[in-house]
Amino acid sequence: MQQTVKNWLSQGIVDIFLGYKRCHGHALPHCFCMEKLEEVDELVESPARYSLEKIATHIAAQKPDLKIGLLARDCNQRALKVLTIWNQLRSDQFKMLNLNCCPSGLKKHADCSYLEPGTPGAYKKQVGIDNTMSLNDVQAFTDEERLSRWMYEFQKCLKCYGCRNICPVCFCEDCSLEHNDLVGTGKLPPEVPIFHLVRAVHMAGRCIDCGLCEDACPVDIPLRLLYRKVNDLFAELFDYDTGIREDPSPFNVIGTEVSLTPRPMVNQ
Amino acid sequence: MDCRFVPSVCSYCGTGCGVLYEVIDGKIHSTLPLKTHPVNQGKLCIKGWSLHEHVNSFMRLKQPLVKTFGRFIKTDWDEAIQIVADRFRDIISKHGPDSVGVLVSAKITNEENYLAQKFARAVIGTNNVDHCARL
Repeated sequence: MQQTVKNWLSQGIVDIFLGYKRCHGHALPHCFCMEKLEEVDELVESPARYSLEKIATHIAAQKPDLKIGLLARDCNQRALKVLTIWNQLRSDQFKMLNLNCCPSGLKKHADCSYLEPGTPGAYKKQVGIDNTMSLNDVQAFTDEERLSRWMYEFQKCLKCYGCRNICPVCFCEDCSLEHNDLVGTGKLPPEVPIFHLVRAVHMAGRCIDCGLCEDACPVDIPLRLLYRKVNDLFAELFDYDTGIREDPSPFNVIGTEVSLTPRPMVNQ
Repeated sequence: MDCRFVPSVCSYCGTGCGVLYEVIDGKIHSTLPLKTHPVNQGKLCIKGWSLHEHVNSFMRLKQPLVKTFGRFIKTDWDEAIQIVADRFRDIISKHGPDSVGVLVSAKITNEENYLAQKFARAVIGTNNVDHCARL
């Protein structure tokens, strides 16, 4: 890995490389460059996962001509696809050094910080939604029970905006969650469930199921489950797998002709 | 292109969450939670998430201001500290040292807090010391 990065940098294939380096015992994102080539020996695959592609969009916004290399786990690769589709990065602006991280047939566990969701407490299991549940298990509750369980989760919200801030595919200049007419200010919890549902709707066709939002949530709201449901509906309606497809999302309507054939939703 | 990642500790309260500043070309672009920090374990509150905003704010005070005849006048540190010392001396000689209180903060370090209470006790001569974390 180190040798590949050294080659890329010294041959000018990439101008900078975003990876991880150990610093005071923490594996932190680090920007490797040609001037400090010897640092590349300290490049590590971090157990913690940062959104390197979001950092790359910040750099690309300031230096559009820079070619950015980056360490790309499976989730980073999906996020980069979505960011390219949504015109946040051009495909010639970055080069991925792919890294297998997610569980597969050969290995059971992911290599990243989101190894296993924590075991929920008894109370959360009783009245809320267990983060480790599958969509079908949640769907098995009656409508009233499901609503009350989700409301229990939502009303814990501290409105830290962590889910939005850490999200690799959240890039809007103006965020609906800060819009006074949609989400009132000065109240805790924020208006439930509208706060979370606005975000969930905006995640349709964008969420790449990386789990960073749930990882960053101080109150353990099962956000990943919520967005997975939204994306399932999206895949069903528009036949579009987010993060896998490379053609524009049906919601990305700017600049191209819209040719949607929405199918009616089937009651389950 | 200079892009650095600087680990630090949140300066808002006494909890001490680990944060990571994303510095692009010398300017803090955003704040991230330090994923491997034992205190916050990759989570932050809204204040921690917006740490970079008050660093970059155009309203940030960069030099001392002295209120003279109802208006704030920019000055240098030597003069500002001299004015504060003179006024303190006036107040203490007129009303006694217990007319002064010192409020310290969780936003400063342990050592600075120690110095502040030492200043209150040894220099001003009062036990009126309090801290915002003494809830």
